[in-house]
Amino acid sequence: MAYDAIIIGAGHNGLVAANYLAKAGRKVLVFERRGIAGGQLVTESFGDGFSANSLHASAQLRPDIVRDLGLNLPAASARSPYVCLLGDGRRLTIDADPVRARDAIREFSARDAERWPEFVAFMDRAAAFLDAAYRTPMPRLLHFAPVREGLPLASLLWKLRRLGGRDMFRCVRAMSMSAEEFTDNWFESDALRAAIAALAIHGVTLGPMSAGTGFTLMHNWLNRGGLAHQPVAGGVGSITTALVDALKARGGEVRTSVDVQSIIVDRERATGVRLASGEEIPAPLILSAADPRYTLLKLVGAAELPPEFVWQAQSIKLRGCVAKVHVQTNGQHGLPEGTLAVAPSIRYLERAYDAAKYGEISKEPYLEVTTSSSTKECNVVSMHFQFAPYALRNTDRSAANSIVGQRAVDTLDAHCPGFKASVKRMHVITPRDLESTYGLSEGDLNHGQLILDQIFFMRPLPGWSKHATPVDGLFLCGSGVHGGGGISGASGRNAAQAIIKDLR
Amino acid sequence: MFDLKRTPFHERTSKLSLPQNWRRWAGYIVAGSYDLVLDREYWAIRDAAALIDITPLMKYIIEGPDAAKLLHRMTPRDVLKMAVGQVFYTGWCDDDGKMLDDGTISRLSDTKFRLTSAEPSLRWLAMNAVGMDVTISEVTDQVAALSLQGPKSRTILNKVCAKSLDKLKFFRLTETKLAGVPVTISRTGYTGDLGYEIWMPADKALTLWDALIEAGRDYGIVPCGILAMDMARVEAGLFMIDVDYTATSHAWIAGQKSTPFEMGLGWTVALDKPGYFVGRRALEREYKEGSAWRLVGLEIEWEGLEKLYASVGLPPQIPGMAIRASLPVMHNGKQIGYASTSTWSPVLKKYIALAHLQRPHFEPGTRVAMEVTVEHHRLHAPATVVKTPFYEPEWKRK
Repeated sequence: MAYDAIIIGAGHNGLVAANYLAKAGRKVLVFERRGIAGGQLVTESFGDGFSANSLHASAQLRPDIVRDLGLNLPAASARSPYVCLLGDGRRLTIDADPVRARDAIREFSARDAERWPEFVAFMDRAAAFLDAAYRTPMPRLLHFAPVREGLPLASLLWKLRRLGGRDMFRCVRAMSMSAEEFTDNWFESDALRAAIAALAIHGVTLGPMSAGTGFTLMHNWLNRGGLAHQPVAGGVGSITTALVDALKARGGEVRTSVDVQSIIVDRERATGVRLASGEEIPAPLILSAADPRYTLLKLVGAAELPPEFVWQAQSIKLRGCVAKVHVQTNGQHGLPEGTLAVAPSIRYLERAYDAAKYGEISKEPYLEVTTSSSTKECNVVSMHFQFAPYALRNTDRSAANSIVGQRAVDTLDAHCPGFKASVKRMHVITPRDLESTYGLSEGDLNHGQLILDQIFFMRPLPGWSKHATPVDGLFLCGSGVHGGGGISGASGRNAAQAIIKDLR
Repeated sequence: MFDLKRTPFHERTSKLSLPQNWRRWAGYIVAGSYDLVLDREYWAIRDAAALIDITPLMKYIIEGPDAAKLLHRMTPRDVLKMAVGQVFYTGWCDDDGKMLDDGTISRLSDTKFRLTSAEPSLRWLAMNAVGMDVTISEVTDQVAALSLQGPKSRTILNKVCAKSLDKLKFFRLTETKLAGVPVTISRTGYTGDLGYEIWMPADKALTLWDALIEAGRDYGIVPCGILAMDMARVEAGLFMIDVDYTATSHAWIAGQKSTPFEMGLGWTVALDKPGYFVGRRALEREYKEGSAWRLVGLEIEWEGLEKLYASVGLPPQIPGMAIRASLPVMHNGKQIGYASTSTWSPVLKKYIALAHLQRPHFEPGTRVAMEVTVEHHRLHAPATVVKTPFYEPEWKRK
């Protein structure tokens, strides 16, 4: 069987890219290291009646992708409220409905309450701009690019302009600001500002006082569609399952439990892949949904790449710091519905991040907690834990999982007394596990930190924003390229479209 | 304060150099010449034997299972095919195929190489060695080097060498002892004559200097500075970094950079070798499309030169050393290139130059004109494009 394209990694981006190529009439084969397809979008069982969305509590593919691929996705459930646990039993509950949210905020600040709907509207517009940016091919700014490469960018700038003079200015300014400064421009209540700042640092190794968290706030707002999660019925794994089904219906193949050991390169052209079994499978097109550093330095190997490029690839900042703590409870956890955040103040979040700077696990972590809706019993509690850095300085690596688990439970128990007593079992995933089990270098969920020098035309590397690599026939389609970071499928689609355009 | 280094031979060379015309070379000072004029040193290269201190060459030992792989990848030559004891001359490029540096690769064993370069290369080596099982160490200061060049060099070395060098072929090396000191001798040089380069521990430098001077006394050995060597290397058609080409890392603008093909090093570019090497794609393209420039030899026609000078009542005036000045080269009144080094060749009795010419003017036999300044007036002397080397004695490779 001859394949037109091999895709490495059956995460959502790999599957989206595979679907687009298959839709364009190509014979595609997807390899997945793990026994299950899905990458970061998996719903797994960690034991008897103990199943959870392993890494992400919710996820949404871009609507245009869902439409293009005719995906059969479960209907989205209603957006849950965002509940900030402030300590001393106080809570700020921000409902998805801006009017109800306004009433809740009024208890903290009347002025903030009045501004809330305007803020939501601004964030939605800023997110829409970002959304447009993520589907716009970025010019290779380091090259003497032909004018046509700049055209999509010009249309993007036009969209930015159409935000209106004041919003355009705010949007550009906010990107480089810290979440602390940005929220200060809007609100006075620390509880509300912290609620927003928590979303800004969600998934990235940055604190609310780090420059560029204005951008990550917009990015996360876009990917999530607001502050709170919108749970996926049947778990996030149902999204990737739908992608696999769609691919199979298009004649594509997915092979799980197959470890691609290397990409075969002959004189700067990819000719196929070599599997751990030694088997070689040729294909004229190779797409890697693995992170750029792993793809380039491990699968291709530095020896096949230009030295300056290798140096840049080595310099991609990954620095994962997110841990997941899944807890099976006896059902008496006493937690309210919704997206719960342990983010009582901006200072608290910044201190949690401080630990990461010094290679330590936060003593008082920022937690985002969701209760399982995928199981009938609603007895599983999942916690997103920041910060548990990949590179630990004074902590024994083997102790990291138990420290993270302990601190997560203790922290949540302090805010919701009685929670600890309900704990039956735990499953902890640290950045080391993200690397070894989920194949994420340095445990970075985003395949490269979402920092200002690693986004847009600088993603994955300056001068290489067009999904291509120095190796002909090898393309990057994972989160680490433009469109990526977060769950949207944009990277996978952008890559597939660039390739299809090339093939024509 | 930054001090220029002195080579381990300084104690001898500093006492012998009459003009004390020290030249900077890669962070060291070395003697420009030992006499006030260059004739004696130059003729030692061509007729007897000249002893030249070349310690400032940057030297690196590359060792490990991937050592060959690293140099194979970094340079355009097919290093995987290299035999132990062989020496390769090569340039190396950035990924745009533009020359960064040039030097020699010596295969000391299966897994051990010595690389010489003009520029500090540790960073570039390390950048190319990512993921490879190899150690790179700079040994510039630990390894002293002497170049013994000239038709009598073999005879002199055989007198003090533990084994005869009669069988040592051109661009091969051997490990041996000289005056009891373990050394590596390579049949290489920068003069285009019979010659050897001796690589020795720095702390034994003076012992070997004295031994060679003593052994060469009856054969007319002469300590020689780099100014006389500069004349000889032009006769041999050998270019010099940052004189005849600008290292890519020093170039301010793209136009200053050169490729191996442009430098006449097409023979070092093994496009048929397996695997990636730095600059491969750009060099493949240039090979296919042809080069826009070429470094060639120019012979300035004496009669034409005489005529220009005769107009002011003078015989031709030629500088007695190699001139590192850019001189425009014309064709039908239009500039088509420039000479980067020009010199009087005493052995050929010709005024010669290394010149960069644009396509199609670089073909041998093309008649062009090179600028000469006659009594403050810029004129053009007729010249012919010739193949290099200008001078190649039969004993160079024999």
